[in-house]
Amino acid sequence: MKKRLIISMALLFLLFSTGVGITIYYIYKTTTDLETVISLHRVEIIRQNLVINTQTVQTHLYTIGTAFGSELDVIVEHVSDLDRSVQSCKSCHHSKELTEKLNRVSDMVEQYKDALSALITTTANRERIERLRLVAITLGNTLLSMVQEMAFTADQRLYAKTVKALKDINNSKIILFLTLSFAFFAALTVAIVFTKQITKSMGILINATKELKAGKLGVTASYPYRDEFRDLSEAFNDMSITLKKNHDELLGFTKRLSHLYRATIPLYSLSEEGMPYNELIGVVKELFDATDCRIFIRDNERFLDIAGKEIILPEKEIEALHLYYRKEPAIFTLGSAPSIKTSFFDSINEPSLLIWIKEQERLSGLLIVMNKKHGSFDDTDLSIAAILSNLLSVSFMNVKLMEDLRNRMRELQQTQEQLIQAAKLAALGEMASNIAHELNNPLTSIIGFSELSQEESDIETIKKDLKIIEQESLRAKEIVNQLLEFARKRAINIVEVNINLLLSEILKLASLQLKHSDIDVIEEFGQVPIIQADHNQLKQVFLNLINNSIHAMEKGGTLVLRTGIMDNANIYVDVEDTGHGIPPDILPRIFEPFFTTKKEKGTGLGLSISYRIIEGHNGRIDVHSEVNKGTRFRVILPVRQPSLQVSHQQSQDQSL
Amino acid sequence: MRLLVLIISALILCFSTISFAAEREILIGLIPEENIFRQMDRYKPLSEYLTFKLGMKTRFTILSRYGDIIDRFVMRNLDGAFFGAFTSVLAMEKLGVEPVVRPMDLDGTSSAEGYIFVRRDSNIKDIKDMKGKTIAFVDRATATGYIFALAYFKEHGIKNPLNYFKEYYFTGSHDSALLSVLDGRADIGVAKNKIIKERIKKDPVMQQEILIIARSIALPDVTLCLSKKIDKGLKERIRDILLKMDKDPEGRKVLERFGALRFIAASKEDFSIVYNLLKKADIEIKTYKYR
Repeated sequence: MKKRLIISMALLFLLFSTGVGITIYYIYKTTTDLETVISLHRVEIIRQNLVINTQTVQTHLYTIGTAFGSELDVIVEHVSDLDRSVQSCKSCHHSKELTEKLNRVSDMVEQYKDALSALITTTANRERIERLRLVAITLGNTLLSMVQEMAFTADQRLYAKTVKALKDINNSKIILFLTLSFAFFAALTVAIVFTKQITKSMGILINATKELKAGKLGVTASYPYRDEFRDLSEAFNDMSITLKKNHDELLGFTKRLSHLYRATIPLYSLSEEGMPYNELIGVVKELFDATDCRIFIRDNERFLDIAGKEIILPEKEIEALHLYYRKEPAIFTLGSAPSIKTSFFDSINEPSLLIWIKEQERLSGLLIVMNKKHGSFDDTDLSIAAILSNLLSVSFMNVKLMEDLRNRMRELQQTQEQLIQAAKLAALGEMASNIAHELNNPLTSIIGFSELSQEESDIETIKKDLKIIEQESLRAKEIVNQLLEFARKRAINIVEVNINLLLSEILKLASLQLKHSDIDVIEEFGQVPIIQADHNQLKQVFLNLINNSIHAMEKGGTLVLRTGIMDNANIYVDVEDTGHGIPPDILPRIFEPFFTTKKEKGTGLGLSISYRIIEGHNGRIDVHSEVNKGTRFRVILPVRQPSLQVSHQQSQDQSL
Repeated sequence: MRLLVLIISALILCFSTISFAAEREILIGLIPEENIFRQMDRYKPLSEYLTFKLGMKTRFTILSRYGDIIDRFVMRNLDGAFFGAFTSVLAMEKLGVEPVVRPMDLDGTSSAEGYIFVRRDSNIKDIKDMKGKTIAFVDRATATGYIFALAYFKEHGIKNPLNYFKEYYFTGSHDSALLSVLDGRADIGVAKNKIIKERIKKDPVMQQEILIIARSIALPDVTLCLSKKIDKGLKERIRDILLKMDKDPEGRKVLERFGALRFIAASKEDFSIVYNLLKKADIEIKTYKYR
């Protein structure tokens, strides 16, 4: 097309140049003709001026010397014009004949001027003047006729020349019109032809581009002509095909990435059952577009097929293969790797992918992917295999770690259970010892006084002894009762309790004890809500805590009873004393049954009973104690008891 | 308002000055020495030169007859004129004009002589032969074309010269007088030598055709005299331009066309010789009928 375009343009240029050349030639010719005509006309004007001037001067002749005569300057001017006309005629190039004629005219003019001058300047008698006038008139008439004759001849020539010039102009007009029209139509034809072809060619490419834009990758434009647009169209086709190829590859990669991602899911979803091999096999087959996949796991000195366990691969052979492939994923082809004796490999007809599973540096398994559906395994497969190998290795290690963890946990639980059993036995032993000790004292007294009364005769003495035996028996009974109380599970009777009122009530009960001691009581009762609790059980708890405090302050001190709101759902009650305090080594054991520091004064069951009551109310007891400074018991109780049935009795009606 | 009046006044003044300047021109008369058309051709470049140099339109006008010149000078309000020897004296006396410059001819002279001449074939050899013949003078108001001849005839004992001839007439120009003799329209002619020489130069055959009977003494040739009404400054400028023409290349070209080497200064004293001639011719300038 380029060549055709250049040739067409060159031809057009040539055509235009020819047209321009012809035009210029005709313009030149016409201009020259016109110039000739114009100059001839100019000459004609000069001749006419000559005639006019001669006629004007002739008119003056008749009036010179009369009252009607013109000013002399006017006459002089006219004669000068006449002279100039003749001189300008003579100045042109003429034929010999014409030159002679003009010379004669010129001479005549000179004579005429002399005669005129003589007539104008002469002062003489009338006759002489008239004679001079006649001479001048005759000369003037002769001159006029000569000039007129010349003008007539020239006129004819001028006419002929003008006609010719007009004819030439007309001819050049026609030629110019024809040339320009032809050039214009030729240019138009070339323009139309090329525009059509270019538009058509562009149309094919534009349509193909539109299809490409619409997502039809790989679309090709079939261009039927052999020109530059064909190159363009071929380049377009290449581009489109490359785009499709790249797009497909990209899609393939995305798909494989998706498979790879899916493959990782079972690897991370560890369960009690261990590795989900079946699921793994499925996604690996999808990932590598293969029909078969086998997993071999090391078991002692061999590798077992996870699916059926019927195929056994010798450890040495697999290790050798692992080393042969430099511990990297590889494409295995029968015969390519040395020292393969196992018959399993003989069944592998096509190249297969070997993916190693490692635990740290130790080979622990092998994945063989076989029978690729389309084409054969390539570098991309190897790259993905490497990623999968790492993932599998990590996953296998995770499985192992999980198993280890599970085993350790089991061992730990067993040890803990053994320890708890031992502690239980020890506590039971101590409790039994404590009970034995508690019962031993009254029993020893009873036995002793029984023996004494058998030997005693005095009834009074015997009565006295029997009284002691009774007392000691009652004491033993009390111990047994308390033991029963501790062991007994009591039903909780929930009512609405005003805790401040309850504490005041308990202080009244303890007032006798307090009266005989040097203890100051401070009541710091806050604005606490009515709580839901067992009135009697709480009374028992706080009486026990106050008693303990009084016993701790034998030498006097201060007892503080404090209530307040712990948080939205709980209140607290502090029982604080300035007694001897509890040593840190004892503090953890104070809530144990039968643990006491008071020996004769208590059974060691008060605090443990209190603890159980508060626990039964979903509350808790915190202890803070410093030796020789004092102890604070904080009882925290919930305002509501959601799980318990509330008995709508007034707590005030209840008594201990 | 004042400003507006001032501007309008200034504009009116400006326009009136321009129109005055446009109308002002210098008009100089020419006595018909030769064929008036040829004479005008000679003088035209000089008028253009003066117009250019003065920055004022300068125009020449032919005074048809010698005798008319004083009347026409007054009538047409001329600023000056190129006068002949006698007309200069006449104008000095009648109009009070002042002689300014005169051209120096190509032969280096600035004076002219008058000739009395006849055709060689006329058989007129001296003054006696002239009796009863036809004589063509130039004009009553020319020294070289009439007055010197009158003085000559009177010196030769002819008391009333005009009656001495059968016919006399005035051709109005020197070359017409020559042509009249050559054409046979007159037997005797009186004219300025320079015009005759010019003609002979153009047509050497003429040399053989004429015979000079008498000649005058050298008289001041054509002289530019300026009117007394022209202010001194302008007069001086005109004199200066003309005197320095030969130093200026443009001026030299004009002088060449004019047929002169240069212009020389002229004064009243140059004309004492004319007064002597008038005395010989018995002419009293104040009463002389020159028409």
